[in-house]
Amino acid sequence: MSMEITADTLPSALARSDSDRAAASMHRLMLAFLITGFSALLIGATIGPLQALNYGGVDAYPALRPLLQSYYQGLTIHGVMNGYVFTFFITCGLLVYLPARELGVAPNLVMWRTCFAIMAVGALCVLYAMADNSSSVLWTFYPPLKGSPFFYIGITLLALGSTMPLPILLEMRATWRRHRPGEITPLVTYMSLTTMLMWGLAGVGVMAELVLQLDPWSLGLIGTVDPIINRTLFWLTGHPIVYFWLMPAYVSWYGLLSRQVGGKLISDPMARITFALLMIFALPVGTHHQFSDPGFSSIWRGILVVLTMSVATPSLVTAFTIGLSLEYAGRLRGGQGWFGWFRALPWGDPSVAAQLLAAITFILGGATGIVNGSWQLNAIVHNTTFIPGHFHVTVGSVTAMTLMAISFWMVPHLTGRQLISRRLALFSVWTWFVGMTIFAIGMTWAGLYGVPRRAWVSALPHDTYHALYGAASVPLALVAAGGVLLWVASYAFFAVFFGSILFGRRAAPPPVPFAQSFGGPASSTIDSPPNPAQSASPLIRALDHVWLLTGITVLATLAAYIPILWPFLHHVTRAPGWILW
Amino acid sequence: MDNKTGMSPFEAAFHASAERHERFWIFGVLVMLVLLTIGTMFYVVHDYGLVTGTHSYAADPQAPAREAAFQDGKVVRTGPNSYAVYMVGRAWHWAPDVIHVPEGAEITFYVTSADVLHGFEIQGTPVNLTAVPGVVGTVKYTFRHAGLFRIICNEYCGMFHHAMVARIIVDPAGTP
Repeated sequence: MSMEITADTLPSALARSDSDRAAASMHRLMLAFLITGFSALLIGATIGPLQALNYGGVDAYPALRPLLQSYYQGLTIHGVMNGYVFTFFITCGLLVYLPARELGVAPNLVMWRTCFAIMAVGALCVLYAMADNSSSVLWTFYPPLKGSPFFYIGITLLALGSTMPLPILLEMRATWRRHRPGEITPLVTYMSLTTMLMWGLAGVGVMAELVLQLDPWSLGLIGTVDPIINRTLFWLTGHPIVYFWLMPAYVSWYGLLSRQVGGKLISDPMARITFALLMIFALPVGTHHQFSDPGFSSIWRGILVVLTMSVATPSLVTAFTIGLSLEYAGRLRGGQGWFGWFRALPWGDPSVAAQLLAAITFILGGATGIVNGSWQLNAIVHNTTFIPGHFHVTVGSVTAMTLMAISFWMVPHLTGRQLISRRLALFSVWTWFVGMTIFAIGMTWAGLYGVPRRAWVSALPHDTYHALYGAASVPLALVAAGGVLLWVASYAFFAVFFGSILFGRRAAPPPVPFAQSFGGPASSTIDSPPNPAQSASPLIRALDHVWLLTGITVLATLAAYIPILWPFLHHVTRAPGWILW
Repeated sequence: MDNKTGMSPFEAAFHASAERHERFWIFGVLVMLVLLTIGTMFYVVHDYGLVTGTHSYAADPQAPAREAAFQDGKVVRTGPNSYAVYMVGRAWHWAPDVIHVPEGAEITFYVTSADVLHGFEIQGTPVNLTAVPGVVGTVKYTFRHAGLFRIICNEYCGMFHHAMVARIIVDPAGTP
């Protein structure tokens, strides 16, 4: 049905009403992305606490033998389901759906469905390869460890599908601009587009690794691969993926949160500058994950430190802009004094509470990130539990909690059903916050004792475990305790999420809470009144040329990677595969 | 409401104040990051020993491990107070698995792998080097205190990755 509607007639119809048939298809598809994503998190989060208990010295895996053969199989499933499947599905739904609503333009549903289908096939392939223990290679799948072809082809499909929102967004933006010449791209669409452009460019690394090396290698078409080249290609994508996790959360913080707390976004230009900087800086710095690898010149390591530190700028700008927007809302709500505005925010709304708590955890996440990027400090923390400690207070809190927050308004919005329990939703996000904070403090602290990440330490003989890691017993106990709290939190969340979809009381669906910025228009849909007052600064007009940003990013990435890959390409190692689990 | 901008007086005042503070914040952020960068770079330049180096590449991933130095697995004296240690990671042990080095001597570790990636971490020190098949990496370190140190594998290498532990015994200076 939707295919008969042309791009020119649909926008105004969609902007007028939710009962339109195309809008109903859009709702169903968005809900499918949401449910699939959170189902992946359900699998990943169920296994997570087993890993936390492992560090506390409790080995639960022998009891799970028919299901899970080892800690490493469980860890592979945890990382892939949470890091790839959960985030990709929700982001690929969200970054099409939100711009479609903001612009009042229908997305190309055929392409959006194809995006879903490709990623779904990929996710099933990967799940199969992990479930039969043929591919316990962890989410980084460094060769020459060799998993099954289903694993690599599944990841290839997931990566390919996850870039498909890009053409959908470009098409919607072009339609909107044809009707509104001279206006700059509305904010949520701009943020979504820069995120997808960044990800489309970043995907080149892992796609090259998979398509040129690991896919044919696992199928037996080529005999050997080069470990260090593939590791470098992986991190070409593996660092920007951090921003592919973070930027959708920022879309919600900049684009929606100010409305949800009853205020306005204080600076639309700062949001655009942040996203443009994230896009440019995300790509060239991937090799800072390889400070401990041989093969890089010291000059390059130095340049990478400078670039890596620069990545902190957009996040620190975000802290300011979001913080001040929250203060504005808090003062409007009657908050007084230094911190009164913070307490005056609508903490009773689980969607707001989740995002505020996520932002608080990001203080620890950002600070530990600066440690990781600091070269010499990196030598102390590299591949210790400090690293997962860091990324559980970025992707595990900022991203996961913000996506949970989005589901709290989006499930009622899409299904016309209310949350089954606001209090249970609040309980889940507070428990997640406390659990993740305890877990991350434990992990980062234990890392300083040299406890390695990704190690089945609980399977060691008792006295060996104590000789090696006894000094870290307090932080490791925190890790285990945090993990158990997260188990409780995640199941409380899933009860609210799935319970509301199935059994929520029917109510009028709330609209998407698009925030208005200071001096900005109330609506940016294609049929809203023209916005001539939008006198954007020259900088903002320049940033609207996304192809210019793309060009700068490509040049910076080439400048960073050609000198790095050059010596590797002249010293190729032909390593055969190993299956060691 | 101010008709020209559509802002209420409170909103307009807040906006003006926000823009002023924004500039201070961004200036502060940039200064902080520049100082952090200079700090970390100074530390590296000042204490250059702990930078991961590259000794050699080989097309055959097993070739470095077959070299005599790696086969013998000895601690080689290279100067009045400097030693070289050749270490191969294999699933799932380090070879040699026990070495003695003197306190206060400069030790150069040559590290490679004969199969998959391993992580050469000396617990309690910043020594942290990825062991890559076909590549020999180096790192220099001086143990300031005598005692027992453990080499842990910190890059996942399969089923018994967690059990891949070796020992470095740092003998007090002056012992023969």
